[in-house]
Amino acid sequence: MPRDRSDEDRYRRSSDHSRRHHERRDERKSHHESHRERSSYSERSQREDYERHDSSSRRRDSNHRHRYDESSSRYDDTKHEYRKEREDGTRNKIKSSSRSSPERHRERRPSRFSDLHVRKPSWNFYGYTSDDIKDAEKLQKERDTSTSNSGGTVISTGLRASSAFTGSSSNQNLEHQDRTQEEMKRTDKQRSEEQGKPETETSSVAWSFDWDRHRYELDKLFFDDDGVLKRGSSDYGDFWSFFERYQSFQSKKQARLGSHKAKKTEEDKHAKTGKLKLPRTFDKRHSINLEMTVPSKHTLKSYSHVTASGEEKDELTSERVLEFKKVLLLYLGFNQKQQFNKVVKLRKDQCNLPIAKYRETIVEAVRKNSVVIVAGDTGCGKSTQVPQYLMSAGFDSVAVTQPRRIACISLAKRVGYETLHEYGSQVGYQIRFETTKTQATKLLFLTEGLLLRQLQLDPVLSQYSVLILDEVHERHLHGDFLLGVLRCMMEQRDDLKLVLMSATININLFSNYFKDAPVIQVPGRLYPIQVEYVPIKESEQGSKSERLDARPYLRIMQRIDHKYPDSERGDLLVFLSGVSEISSVVEAAKMYASQTNRWIVLPLHSSLSVAEQDKAFDISPEGVRKCIVSTNIAETSVTIDGVRFIVDSGKVKEMNYNSQAKMQQLQEFWISRASSEQRKGRAGRTGPGVCFRLYGEDDYDAFQAYSTPEIQRVPLDSLLLQMVALGLKRPREFPFIEAPPANSIENSITFLKEQGALSEKEKLTPVGRMLSQLPVDVVIGKMLIMGTIFKMIDPVLSIAAALSVQSPFTSRAHRDHDAMSARKSLESDHGDPFTLLNAYDEWIQMKASGGSSSRKWCKRRGLEEQRFYEMSKLKKQFKELLDTNNLLGMKDARREYSSLERQSRNRERKRLRELKRKTQNSSKKRKLLKLENEDFDDSDEDEESDDDASKLQDIQFKLSHDVTEMEAKSNMNRSLLNREINLLKVILCSGLYPQLAIADDCNSYRKESDQVFHTKAKPFVVLHPTGIFATNPDVLEPPDGDTLPEETTGKRGALSAKHQLLSYVSLLETNKPYLMNTMRVPALQTMLLYARSLDTNQQCTRLIVDEWLEFCFADSEAAEDILPVVLHLRATWIKVLEMRLKESQRSLNFGAADLRVVHLERLLARKLAEYLSSHVEYTMRKLGATDLQHLYIGSSGGLLKSSDDEFFSTFSKDSEPHPTKGGWKVTDFMTYGW
Amino acid sequence: MDAEKEGKRRSFECSSCQFSSPYDYFGKRPGFLKSIVLLEEAYVMKDPFTPENRHLTLGGHCSECNKPVCVGKDCSIFYTRRFCIDCVMENLEEFPKEVQQELNKKDKG
Ligand SMILES: [Zn+2]
Ligand SMILES: [Zn+2]
Repeated sequence: MPRDRSDEDRYRRSSDHSRRHHERRDERKSHHESHRERSSYSERSQREDYERHDSSSRRRDSNHRHRYDESSSRYDDTKHEYRKEREDGTRNKIKSSSRSSPERHRERRPSRFSDLHVRKPSWNFYGYTSDDIKDAEKLQKERDTSTSNSGGTVISTGLRASSAFTGSSSNQNLEHQDRTQEEMKRTDKQRSEEQGKPETETSSVAWSFDWDRHRYELDKLFFDDDGVLKRGSSDYGDFWSFFERYQSFQSKKQARLGSHKAKKTEEDKHAKTGKLKLPRTFDKRHSINLEMTVPSKHTLKSYSHVTASGEEKDELTSERVLEFKKVLLLYLGFNQKQQFNKVVKLRKDQCNLPIAKYRETIVEAVRKNSVVIVAGDTGCGKSTQVPQYLMSAGFDSVAVTQPRRIACISLAKRVGYETLHEYGSQVGYQIRFETTKTQATKLLFLTEGLLLRQLQLDPVLSQYSVLILDEVHERHLHGDFLLGVLRCMMEQRDDLKLVLMSATININLFSNYFKDAPVIQVPGRLYPIQVEYVPIKESEQGSKSERLDARPYLRIMQRIDHKYPDSERGDLLVFLSGVSEISSVVEAAKMYASQTNRWIVLPLHSSLSVAEQDKAFDISPEGVRKCIVSTNIAETSVTIDGVRFIVDSGKVKEMNYNSQAKMQQLQEFWISRASSEQRKGRAGRTGPGVCFRLYGEDDYDAFQAYSTPEIQRVPLDSLLLQMVALGLKRPREFPFIEAPPANSIENSITFLKEQGALSEKEKLTPVGRMLSQLPVDVVIGKMLIMGTIFKMIDPVLSIAAALSVQSPFTSRAHRDHDAMSARKSLESDHGDPFTLLNAYDEWIQMKASGGSSSRKWCKRRGLEEQRFYEMSKLKKQFKELLDTNNLLGMKDARREYSSLERQSRNRERKRLRELKRKTQNSSKKRKLLKLENEDFDDSDEDEESDDDASKLQDIQFKLSHDVTEMEAKSNMNRSLLNREINLLKVILCSGLYPQLAIADDCNSYRKESDQVFHTKAKPFVVLHPTGIFATNPDVLEPPDGDTLPEETTGKRGALSAKHQLLSYVSLLETNKPYLMNTMRVPALQTMLLYARSLDTNQQCTRLIVDEWLEFCFADSEAAEDILPVVLHLRATWIKVLEMRLKESQRSLNFGAADLRVVHLERLLARKLAEYLSSHVEYTMRKLGATDLQHLYIGSSGGLLKSSDDEFFSTFSKDSEPHPTKGGWKVTDFMTYGW
Repeated sequence: MDAEKEGKRRSFECSSCQFSSPYDYFGKRPGFLKSIVLLEEAYVMKDPFTPENRHLTLGGHCSECNKPVCVGKDCSIFYTRRFCIDCVMENLEEFPKEVQQELNKKDKG
């Protein structure tokens, strides 16, 4: 598990981002008609611009300076657009903020509608656009105030006639001056026209009527469940805002016209004339092709009529109901137009994608070939369009794989949307925890890993007829493996169509791998980017250990400030190798920013909280640029719009696996040319850009062409296990597209054998089969399997889940003293896995107590709540997997929900549906950043806006988990007895072994200094500063005790029963080798249980374990007590496990749980607990190199069996001499009397 | 729901522009709408942009020449019934001046 984790995390994190990105794009697209263009550069104008300059600028690419000036003037052209965008941004912010300023007041909608989430549509009813109305009104207002002869009609409607129209500030007025002139003419004309309109237009229904007083009644009439619009929906909000405007428009018109009733013209009397028999009198109503069946005539009758007395002035009369109905109809007509335009826009956008021209080519190629490669760069539209092309060409059961989970969700949504759900539920996705797949699904987006898992059940993937592998150029482990599997499969399935989609990176490699498969190359949609090489001066390069020198980065910021006027929008994206580099640059850049007030500096990397990462997507205020300082997360997985400048350090930190030391190494490298181009391209997504490379052109030329694929640099344990489980006979000869190092394969096979997953003949063992089905690393999987034998599965599940997701501790968690002290009670001095367990259990308690404050609770402690949700899902999945494999033994009788609980769950379900609807319609909006946000203290605001999303998650969580039961279990976990803790540790070690470390003799056990440890393979490793023992080293202090006389051991050492070792989950080398997720364990007990070799002398006073540690006892009695117990325990354990797994193979038959197994399990648990609490005093030390040379007497030692070994013979009657060590092999792990 | 079972939905094509789209229903009373009836026989789909049960009129037949036309303003107008833009132009003077102005404005823009 340790190895996969970081990369997994990266995907997970990054996918979150890409989802957000996608959602935003979706939102923008779907609201496109209603918002004015909001994208950072006005895309249209930029594109036109680009088209104009494209050819010329490419030709001049070498002449930077010239281009520079030209591009800056080009930006002037679009200045206007930027300003407009910024205004929109400001408006957005104002809506979400509650603070008041005069301007905001003007902008804000009447408060009672603020909860409706109303968008501001661009009105277009019967030919007038919102602008027309706006200006007409503005004009009227101006006239009213200037001439003040309007008869003093005070317009006071119940809805407080919105002043939103007049809200636009005066500068807009100026901008539109010439337009206003025109409007004036038109308004005059319009007025004269209106005077000729029939009565209904300026009806007797007073527009000063207080409609809002009758809101309840109107809701019942029109907006019931069967109504035209549903209360609470976004359209409902839209309508009321429409109504408001309409009302305001009408009342002003009324005021203008005074009490003059329009005269009917002669024409009216000649209704329905001419060939077409059209009514001559214009009525907007005639332009609308629908009618409402509510309210019924009967209902209408119950309302009174307008009388002459005027008593009804507050009453909802039938006339008023009808008037209301008319406005509603007008709205519906308007809404229809809007929605139709959306459809048209969608179609147009699809046709404008670069890939659209290749539609026929692609479809033809797929028809004619079994393997086709589509290569296209960012923005060409291949991921969304190619599946649609194939679907509409008649292919069905299409599967599309993605390296990232979130991409599956967003693509399925996007394709569903683009096809207008033409295929209904036929478009779905499937990822680790969720699926929308049904019987009807014909296009499925799924992760590479999941498709591999499906292979286990369906070896030729017969359920699919087309497989599209997207982003194959990213060369992830699973993707590479999938390529190999599919190449073999193509021979068995000649009906299968395979489409590989890739960026234009190393295409020949893929084409050659599939027998020269045809390649269709699609151009991307990138604007020209000017590249400038700015190598870092030697004096500023610094050495490895020093902090990164930020000066070169600041100089670029200065240059940008100098060269580009702040009215030209465009943000800066800086690529650095790692988190510490980022913090150096961020710190310096913030200083610079505070002097210039022209920058907002934001870090971006995967260990930031989701909210912190989200800031990178927000919008900066006018005249201020964002400076996003990022790891390579922004290279492919996260896409930020509006980036115009790139600074590329040319460095990346990559995880490599050192299989000798079993250690992950995070090392800094130069990037590849491919990756360098990718970084550059990030500047050209929304307009022409500039890329500063902080290295020389010759450096660039020396970069390797492509990045090292994952398969070359990660441990292959899980992959190999899966290969064997799939029945691949010779894993060493598997035809990978690029083979991994041979020793990497060998090491993994050895590891799998050691873990008991593979037999000596490299066949899958029952444990191996089980492990191959668990979606986690072998280490974690083993913990789970072992945990099932003992009745402690719940905490094991929690810990296994916690260790399989990214750490819930944010990077702030270890800097923020408030968070640290708030977290104190969660810390366990047994080790990090226990701290994680406590944190999770405490969180469950928070959830169970019904507080929606769990998010706040997390925030205060520097925890990321998202991780706990993930853990819960994972834990549930583990449990289900173990359960279906019959490994959980006697099932907990499923708890029945009480009727009260059922009721409340039903309520929650309803709320969930409502919230889902709500959040679907109002996906997250980009916020406006503040200039001085040095800390993250605008958290309250964040919470408010994220409220729905977090509520949604809360309800989803409560519905899919039995929180009451979870709470009960967490309560149990919180009161674990010492012996239970020891048992838990042993279970965890069953997976972790041999990941153990012994303390160095010279450790100080004080916080100020590093505590040094030694693993068997890697001496001198230290505790990671985020671990619990780094801050509490004293609990690791070795025990005091008498020392044994020299002649017994040859070395000093305290005699004690309390020696400890540290188990760890991973070994990670960054600037130092660190032990990650450590836990202290009783040394002797743990080692004896799991050691691969246990050698004793004849007296049984000296034990050598794994040829690494030496334990000595004061006398032979102590050893004679404990050794038989160990042998017994180990034998029983294996037997129980075998029986359990055998049982799991059998079909599920209820109540047939083998009583013998149950009995044996109980016995084992009891004996193990006894064993763990047994009091044996011993010394412990690590063997030195010289010790190891003289350790064994060798096979020539020729010792005769003495009477002492009689108790061993019960285990192994025919023990034989050990071939190399001398002495007798008692079991396959124990040698006696060497 | 039925449409989903059937697989691919039927498709409506405008005779005047290139627009085409699947539709769920043709007629005046889409079953999924509770309190709305249409005033023309129209090609209707469930509004794909909202989770509510709303409809979206894609087009209908010109009441004069019977050509299938989309509701886009360049292809048809609705004024008591649907007219394709050709038929409107032929009989422009029969339409109220508000409608004529609207069309003129379009031409200019
Ligand atoms: Zn059309
Ligand atoms: Zn016609």
